[in-house]
Amino acid sequence: MDYISILPIQILHGLVYGMLLFLLASGLTLIFGMMGVLNFAHGALYMIGAYFSFSVLLWTGQFWLSLIIAPVLVALVGLLIERVFLRKVHVYGHVAELLVTFGIAFILEDVVMILWGSEPLKIEIPAILAGSLSMFGDTYPTYRLFILVVSLLVFVFLSLILTKTRAGIIVRAAVDNKEMVGALGFNVPLIFLLLFGVGAWLAGLAGVIGGPYLMTHPGMGAVILVDLFVVVVLGGLGSIRGALLAAILIGEIQSFGVLFLPQFALFFQYLLLAAVLILKPEGLLGEKT
Amino acid sequence: MTHYRIWNWLFLISFLALLAFLPGLIPEFSLNVVITMLIYSLFAIAFNILFGQAGLLSFGHAAYFGTGAYTSILVYKHFGLSLFPGILAGGVFSVLLGVIFGVFVVRLSGMPFALLSLAFNMLIYAVAEKWRTFTGGEDGIAMQRPDLFIPGFGSIDMFPTVNFYYFVLIIVVLCIAYCWWFTKTPLGRINVCIRENEERAGFVGYNTYTTKLLVYLVCAFFCGVAGALASSFDEFVSTSMINMVKSGDILITTFVGGLGIFWGPIAGVCFLTYLNDTLSSFTKHWVLIQGAIFIAVVMYAPDGISGLLLRIKNRLFDRFKIEKG
Repeated sequence: MDYISILPIQILHGLVYGMLLFLLASGLTLIFGMMGVLNFAHGALYMIGAYFSFSVLLWTGQFWLSLIIAPVLVALVGLLIERVFLRKVHVYGHVAELLVTFGIAFILEDVVMILWGSEPLKIEIPAILAGSLSMFGDTYPTYRLFILVVSLLVFVFLSLILTKTRAGIIVRAAVDNKEMVGALGFNVPLIFLLLFGVGAWLAGLAGVIGGPYLMTHPGMGAVILVDLFVVVVLGGLGSIRGALLAAILIGEIQSFGVLFLPQFALFFQYLLLAAVLILKPEGLLGEKT
Repeated sequence: MTHYRIWNWLFLISFLALLAFLPGLIPEFSLNVVITMLIYSLFAIAFNILFGQAGLLSFGHAAYFGTGAYTSILVYKHFGLSLFPGILAGGVFSVLLGVIFGVFVVRLSGMPFALLSLAFNMLIYAVAEKWRTFTGGEDGIAMQRPDLFIPGFGSIDMFPTVNFYYFVLIIVVLCIAYCWWFTKTPLGRINVCIRENEERAGFVGYNTYTTKLLVYLVCAFFCGVAGALASSFDEFVSTSMINMVKSGDILITTFVGGLGIFWGPIAGVCFLTYLNDTLSSFTKHWVLIQGAIFIAVVMYAPDGISGLLLRIKNRLFDRFKIEKG
């Protein structure tokens, strides 16, 4: 096999999966970093995003409409979860919150199976994205490049909001020290609620664009959850740039691992995680607390 | 105080007597469920020593459960060992693995501890899944459980469920008794001290690192024994015994049972095993009900089932006292 000529395509493969992971991880890292909630329902929110988009697509036939509506619906589910369940159990500590999100993930998965069935669904992508572009002496599906563009846009917007706007600065301050932010007169529970909503929105968006790329089935959230967790911890809790770096790293490890050392790709990924946690427990770009 | 103690002992003895006569009272199918409950009780109690007593939350204890499970099946297969040495090997290999991982993990506490233990769990899971020639990968290994050989007595056929039930009962009761005793030893007490304030425990002069490592290894040993019993019972081992779902299960079980209470996890194991067994037989959507129960427990009984039971008992007892007074 000629490795040099397939190198760019292989890098692109890793980048696309990595960017999808980033989309999911960006919301989770803020939730985890700030609220300390290791949200196991994040994968389930991603999954219902894909299913919502399937239904919107079925009713309206408009992909672009589903791209707007489905994430908002997921965000509403997220707001409901935070307001009704998580806020009440916050006082009982991390494990209690973890258990609640476990329970929610179970329920969402089962409800999806009742409503949509357990068979994998096929989501049609619009004609404009269905083709492929020729690049690096090869062709590449346009849809994957679309994933890349959307994720990059989200990264740019999220970074700008977090660093340049007042709301973003308050959120970052709350990740660092929520007691102090509360003492300064900001409504921390409200910030939590909105943050969780934004995280759920991002998960929903990832579901909409990830559904046609990976497979849409009830277990899709649980499948991606492990990689997602690796990215968030590797990047550092609460760090958007760290999540981006880690997501691309994991994407490339998997892409090249499958090519060169299929037996060891998984092992390397977890070895990297363990090594980083031993040497720098706060993650690659995380800040010491 | 002694009055309560007598009642506790009486309860314990009658409970053990019930377990001893159980094979005569229930059908063999139910006995299988009880064996599962016994094995997971040991797993959960070992986990609870680390979490409830030492305050170290591990997301990756299936690593030790799974190592024990794989070790015992592999030694039966390759060395033809009999049952007890196989179980012991499961515990010992888990401790060896615990030394390698523990050296790094124990330096941390809180969330970093939990995450690193999960990372190690994933690492060992990746090995079990990819090293197909040795572990069988996802297909796993099937191996009939060997006879129990007692020197000077001969061997006992372990194929009948009743015989294996008594074997598991004896091992689990002995292990749990040791765990209970361990929590009362000075070493066990220092762990509580470290949980409450590690820095202060260090200033007083205790070596917190070694103490944490020791309790970590004790826990790894009993998790390994539980895993070895589980794979010997199933006569099969696969990656489902070592994956992160198993780690999650044991955390959920312990929490539902009651964290701070030594006997709590047993309540959790019995409740959830029974629930899974009955729900899955009469509805397809038992996962949904299970999820709802987790949420209900966290929201309305944050001390778990045993906490709830204790509260009910206290209330009844208080009323009794008032009536008497």
